[in-house]
Amino acid sequence: MRLLPTSRLRPLSAVAVAALAISALVACGDSGDDKAAAGSATSGTINWWGWTPTDNATAETYISAFNKQYPDIKVNYKLVNISDWVAALRPALASGKGPDVFDMQPGAYVSQFKSFAVDQTPLAQEALGDGWKDKIAPIGISGLSADGKLTAMPVGSVYAGMLWINGDIFKKYSLQPPATLADWKHVCEVLKQNKVGCFVQGAAQEGFDQDTLQSIANSVQPGLWTKASTGDAHWNDPGIVKTLGIWKDLFDSGIMQPGAVGYQQYPDANNDFLTGKYGMVMMGTWYTQYATTKAMTAALSAAGVSGAKPFPILPVAFPDVAGAGNTSEMYGDADFGLAISNKSDNQAAAKTFVKWLTTAKEGQQAIADQLNDLPSLKGVEPDFDNIQLVDPATQKDPVAQLIEKANAVTEPRESLLTADVQDAILAAATSVATGKASPQDAADTLQKAAEAAGVTFK
Amino acid sequence: MTTSTRTGRRAGAERTVASGGGRPGRRGPRRPPGLPWILPALVLSVGLIYYGIGYTGYISTLNWDGISPGPQHLGGQNYSRIMHDPVFWEAIRHTVVFFVVTFVVQTVLGLVFAVLMHAKIRLGAFYKVIVFIPVVLAPSIMAPVFRHMFAPDGELNWVLQHIGLGSLAQPWIGQTGTALPVIMFITIWEWTGVTFVLYYAAMTQIDPSVLEAARMDGAGNLRALVSIIWPEMRGTTTALAMLGAIGALKTFDVPYLVTIGGPNHATEFLGTYIYRQTIPLNHVGYGAALSIILLVVALLMALGLQFAGRRAER
Repeated sequence: MRLLPTSRLRPLSAVAVAALAISALVACGDSGDDKAAAGSATSGTINWWGWTPTDNATAETYISAFNKQYPDIKVNYKLVNISDWVAALRPALASGKGPDVFDMQPGAYVSQFKSFAVDQTPLAQEALGDGWKDKIAPIGISGLSADGKLTAMPVGSVYAGMLWINGDIFKKYSLQPPATLADWKHVCEVLKQNKVGCFVQGAAQEGFDQDTLQSIANSVQPGLWTKASTGDAHWNDPGIVKTLGIWKDLFDSGIMQPGAVGYQQYPDANNDFLTGKYGMVMMGTWYTQYATTKAMTAALSAAGVSGAKPFPILPVAFPDVAGAGNTSEMYGDADFGLAISNKSDNQAAAKTFVKWLTTAKEGQQAIADQLNDLPSLKGVEPDFDNIQLVDPATQKDPVAQLIEKANAVTEPRESLLTADVQDAILAAATSVATGKASPQDAADTLQKAAEAAGVTFK
Repeated sequence: MTTSTRTGRRAGAERTVASGGGRPGRRGPRRPPGLPWILPALVLSVGLIYYGIGYTGYISTLNWDGISPGPQHLGGQNYSRIMHDPVFWEAIRHTVVFFVVTFVVQTVLGLVFAVLMHAKIRLGAFYKVIVFIPVVLAPSIMAPVFRHMFAPDGELNWVLQHIGLGSLAQPWIGQTGTALPVIMFITIWEWTGVTFVLYYAAMTQIDPSVLEAARMDGAGNLRALVSIIWPEMRGTTTALAMLGAIGALKTFDVPYLVTIGGPNHATEFLGTYIYRQTIPLNHVGYGAALSIILLVVALLMALGLQFAGRRAER
């Protein structure tokens, strides 16, 4: 049965096809032009996406403090796991339907997302004056700048290069924090005899493997890791080969937990440490927040432990695993900055929020008191009178010393590494750990991968 | 088979009419009468699917992060790099092992379950549901369960330790030698229900008189299974092999959710490697080249299995 002759349908089909094509072109034509100063600066709703703060409660603390001053700006925080961050953020930003404000980390993320971010230099000048660079931790500015643009305002910094121990476990078995590799092995033996896990690491995630490797490298030869990152030393330098050899020893001697290369730092290793299964974990200053009763209780709940009693965690120096007498120095970057999407319809409100959290004393004090980040604004420090630690008697001094020490750190953590080099470091770490490659072979492969990724070596 | 033979005859008859019965002097071939009716679907499929494939093919010649303007044209360099990429070949090897193991085990289990259910066992309907339930459970829901089950302090090791097999306890998904078998186990658990249902349905098509005659000739259960039921299942087995092969090539969810393709690429498949290259590493051009290779391999495999199935039917 024919409802219409074909000849009459032909022009209709052509029109339909043309309409489809035009509508597609029109849809594509909605380009991401900057929508500078869109919306009101004192009211509206803004969506903030981030992988950190790693729990909604901390983000809500910041937001509620902000709302005391700006009650008409509603901030919705969406927590995205860091392993899903790129996959979630890229299409969201490209579509123009994504967040108004998003977290930005120095290094690979800046190069990936800088084209979606508003330059925040004017915001910094407006908030802090022409000398704004002197008022913010320099480690935050350099890592978040690219192509002459400040892609995000630094919120705070994080530093790594230390271990965190479960104070109760160490006290129960009369153990001292390990100072050398031999000490570390002894601590693990004692804990294993008592059916307690020793050290837990998510060795399947590159960022955390890098932390442990950088700490080992700092024990072997201080500064070597940074030199390799900048191309001033080769990744197959004998010091890096030795670093990978010690890394392998951590697995062979049973310091690392069984199956570590199949573990994620978050949630696996984090949950195992917080539930008391292990006595030690490699985390940075962001873990300081769990020294507080409030954050520790929330974290235990998130780890699936109901009604658990918070225990005191303590930062300890990374052991001198190379036995060369080098105290492993810490290293750090801006933890994250807040970027404003150039496709946001609420840029004015977004700027108000970012300016308050990153440059206002109240906002930075809220950051400092959470102990998740060290505030980027100089002169702001945690107010320990308002911070309730799980066990102030044992925790207050180590935590205060950690913060003081971190403020003097200049060695970068991840900001010098591209995604390709980070991937190559992970490949080297896991191939050595699983015995698929010798430290020398893995270091040679890493060097080739870094060269292929465009790193220029001297 | 019967249907295709009939269709073939009809088509042959239509060709005869068209060639011999057309009016002399008519210009060009007759326009197929159904074109207007399939046009919307055609526009949609050409526009969405084939355009997408073509665009992916174009991207595969670029060095591009998917966002930046001015991608660099590389010609076929991405493809030649893939040929020298050890992770790609590892993914191919995993795909082949995965297909062979999962297909064989699922076929045996599905066939055995189907035969048992046809034997009118007690609580048969209940068992059918039990076997089929994993098919409807989303991998994203089950992945955390399996991650926990196979963890060093997980349920599997707990059971082993409590039945005197503690020496076998190990970090199943945390070592290269056992991670892939775990992924295959989960897949078999998940998809055996489909194999079972298809075999069960196919068995209802077997003429009972044939089985009855075999019984009268003295054939036992095993002989009936091997000589009558299994040959009758050939079409179903071919279809399952094709689905299994394409499924193996497309495998992504279970290895990504349970092991993230690790440890050390031990459970890397083409799907996870394409994702790894395209999203976290931003090598969109390289990922597109891998996708095109995946498409070509899938087409060749489907054609090969189809051809093998037809030859076996003859």
